[in-house]
Amino acid sequence: MTQSDPIFRLEGVTRRYGNLTALDGIDFGAEDNSYIALLGPSGSGKTSLLRVIAGFEAPDTGRIWFQGRDITDLPAHERGIGFVFQNFALFPHLTIFENVAFGLRNGATKVPDAEITDRVRASIDMVGLAGLEDRNPDQISGGQKQRVALARSLVMQPKLVLLDEPLGALDANLRERMQTELRTIRERLDVTFLHVTGSETEALAMGDRVAVLDAGRIVQYDTPDAIYDRPIISDVALFLNRFNLFEGTLKDGSFHGAFGAAPVSSVRANDSDVYAIRYDRTRIFDTDASDLPGPALPVRYLASEYLGSSIIFLFETADHKTVEVDHHLSLGEPRDLSVGQNYILSWDPAQAIVFGKEAAQ
Amino acid sequence: MESKILKPILAVYVGLFILFLYGPFIVLSILSFQQGPEGGPQFPIIEWSTYWYQHLFGLTPPSRIAPLPVGEALVRSLTLAFMTMVTATVLGVMAAQAFRKRFRGAGVVFYLIVLGMMVPGVLTGLGTSLLANNVVGIERHWWSTAFLAHVVYTFPFAFLVMLAILNRFDGSVEEASWSLGVSPITTFRKVTFPLIFPGVLSAMLFAFTLSFDEFPRTLFASGRDQTLPLAIYGTFSVEIHPNIFAFGVMTTLFSFALLAVYGILMGLSVRRAKKMAMQEDIA
Amino acid sequence: MSAAIGKRQKATTFQLLAPGVVWMILFLVAPIMMIVYVSFWTQTTFAINSTLTLDSWRNFFASEAYVGALWTTIRLWLIVLTLTFLIGYPAALYVGLLVKSKTVATVLLVLCVIPFWTSFLIRVLAWRPMLGKEGAINIILQKVGLIDTPIEVLLFSELSVIIGMTQIYVVFMVGPIAFMLGRIDRNIIEAARDLGAGFGRIFWKIIFPLSLPGVVVGAIFVSVMVLGEFATSGALSGRKVNLLGNIIVTQVGSLKWAMASVVGVILTILLGIVVAGFLRIVDLKREI
Repeated sequence: MTQSDPIFRLEGVTRRYGNLTALDGIDFGAEDNSYIALLGPSGSGKTSLLRVIAGFEAPDTGRIWFQGRDITDLPAHERGIGFVFQNFALFPHLTIFENVAFGLRNGATKVPDAEITDRVRASIDMVGLAGLEDRNPDQISGGQKQRVALARSLVMQPKLVLLDEPLGALDANLRERMQTELRTIRERLDVTFLHVTGSETEALAMGDRVAVLDAGRIVQYDTPDAIYDRPIISDVALFLNRFNLFEGTLKDGSFHGAFGAAPVSSVRANDSDVYAIRYDRTRIFDTDASDLPGPALPVRYLASEYLGSSIIFLFETADHKTVEVDHHLSLGEPRDLSVGQNYILSWDPAQAIVFGKEAAQ
Repeated sequence: MESKILKPILAVYVGLFILFLYGPFIVLSILSFQQGPEGGPQFPIIEWSTYWYQHLFGLTPPSRIAPLPVGEALVRSLTLAFMTMVTATVLGVMAAQAFRKRFRGAGVVFYLIVLGMMVPGVLTGLGTSLLANNVVGIERHWWSTAFLAHVVYTFPFAFLVMLAILNRFDGSVEEASWSLGVSPITTFRKVTFPLIFPGVLSAMLFAFTLSFDEFPRTLFASGRDQTLPLAIYGTFSVEIHPNIFAFGVMTTLFSFALLAVYGILMGLSVRRAKKMAMQEDIA
Repeated sequence: MSAAIGKRQKATTFQLLAPGVVWMILFLVAPIMMIVYVSFWTQTTFAINSTLTLDSWRNFFASEAYVGALWTTIRLWLIVLTLTFLIGYPAALYVGLLVKSKTVATVLLVLCVIPFWTSFLIRVLAWRPMLGKEGAINIILQKVGLIDTPIEVLLFSELSVIIGMTQIYVVFMVGPIAFMLGRIDRNIIEAARDLGAGFGRIFWKIIFPLSLPGVVVGAIFVSVMVLGEFATSGALSGRKVNLLGNIIVTQVGSLKWAMASVVGVILTILLGIVVAGFLRIVDLKREI
């Protein structure tokens, strides 16, 4: 990944639909030639953001820059930004070949037929669909449609491709294969992918960098590792779906919650006091254990879920809050737990992340 | 259960109802095979013959019954219906396309267009001829004033058909086209239009048949030269002969031929529509 | 909204709508305004001038024939409307609700629509050999032995006009009602039946209220067409039945534009009242 000038930049972009503010003054820039995942829960404005960048919708205020040019007032077809739709949006009346050739044939600049054939073939080859050129869109599978949509976009050699939940319509197996493929394809070309998704796994697995969108604002933009390890606010931690979050009060360098009091070393600014500990940093002990690494949270065991490389154990606290423990199988055999039994959960307080109203420490 | 009795009774009723709808035309068809030229437009059938069909095409020896003055009228009606069809469909597609975006005054514009099919033909006809005759001071012709009134009448139908079609149209294929650098106009030509073509065909069929059969507006708004419905109406006041019945059967057959052409064209584009539907299912 | 893109969108909308809107204003709204205006013009024997006067209006209300035509129009409209409803509703009930198979329902609806591909005037004319003194109905009735002498009042009477109009327009009543009935959730009816409600009760409490918007739309269709009629009455009554439409045709035929316009305005007002009245019964925008 080469870090360079932003390929595109948003300045104070706001988009409202009636009383609803979908985008709330977004400032954002993305590096050239990189894979950026845009993560947000549904209703966070992520699709609006993509549509505004593509030019399908105009922002109410703010400017959009692309390759050093202000494109805010440019219509979509003059922007040169690719777009891949969740529902693929293939042209149903054209063959795969003609779908991919569409932009070259009907664009503003005339491309010679021979060049069209070459570029379309190369593009179809790249996404691994050689041999299907003469099929119609209704004769291929969902995964193949997604590749056609990608090839159709990439054949125009855009510098930026926007992908709107591109894997959302595919089944789980296919989704994983397409994840790696999307990354490989992008690395072979000089292009930036802006990939919108509602799945934190997808975002963390795919993006060179991940932007987290919440309520129309970008709250964190960083590498996946950084976001995983250091969510900037408790909402991000919640949305990552990898943290047990506890409410409580932060006072005099310690956090008081359901687990008693825990010492706190550093605090992140937040609009409420929240204590977060990752699922895979939470450990299980018997009620009479005496070698706890930190605070003690009494829980009742509910169920477990096998995920292949790890097991998720589900517990319930006294106030009926569900707590999860992620046990990675490379760390050894999991404990044998009996449903309905009481246990104690504990962790190393140094690994917890604490958000507080009074960040000053 | 009461509906157990009700259902068969209603089934019989619907049978009678359909007989009520078709009865007159069946009687008319039978009488069109009346013997000629002496046989009149009533029962009993003196002898079965195709005399009146031959009479229609001028294949019978001259008799006291004049042939129907329909030749030129037919050509005029076809021309007028074609002109109306093209204009109404173009206007309908354009207006419906505009209605895909929300805009201020949409309600007023909608009602203004739909008014064209709600106002009775006598009124549009009277108004148009008043305007032409007493204000602008031009002569009325089937190809001028009547054409204007026909479009007023058929444009709303084309508009509503296209509105229904475009309502179900998934706009993401158009956005996909724009994002490939294709201008909105080319996009409409290469993507939107081919995909809504079945709807356009229906709009055209509507406009053509309505115009071809249009009578009240034409009566007022066309001048001396008669269209087909006017020619038929003209025969009402004089004595009726079975030739007009034979003519009725012929025009009905012609309508069905038109319907068949529509069916074939529709069949050809339905494959396309199916593809579109399948793609929508996935989405 | 970005000013440039917003402006461009507005321009596109405007360009797409302008031709149709201009057409409708020039050739629909202006002509109707014109009718109102000309109804106050001065009519001489063969000419008309734009000096404003109430003469034509006075003449209309002074003439028994004209006012009579107004009442005939209203009477015939009410009769035909009632008949199309009474005859059409059971058919719609069967097609829209009772037929289980969608295919059968579609076939029946198509069967109802096919006659429309026969010219309107031919359909009117087809009633003549049906209703005449030596027409099909009289022959059948005589054969069956129900009557000895043919019924003459069948043709060239108000009755023949009513029969003709009912047959031609009843489908416009059936269509919307069948459409609304088809949209009723069958589970509601099943649930009512499980609770022990008989068909009569289910019909009046559930089916009929839910089909009411269809009845209103059908009634508006039928009303607009019947009130503006003149061809059916002309062809089947032998000029015995004069509707407002017939008066307009005769007046224009003798170049009495002002009187034709007065009748036109009265017809417009009548239509306006009727349609507005129906729209008060059901809020169509909410229902559809």
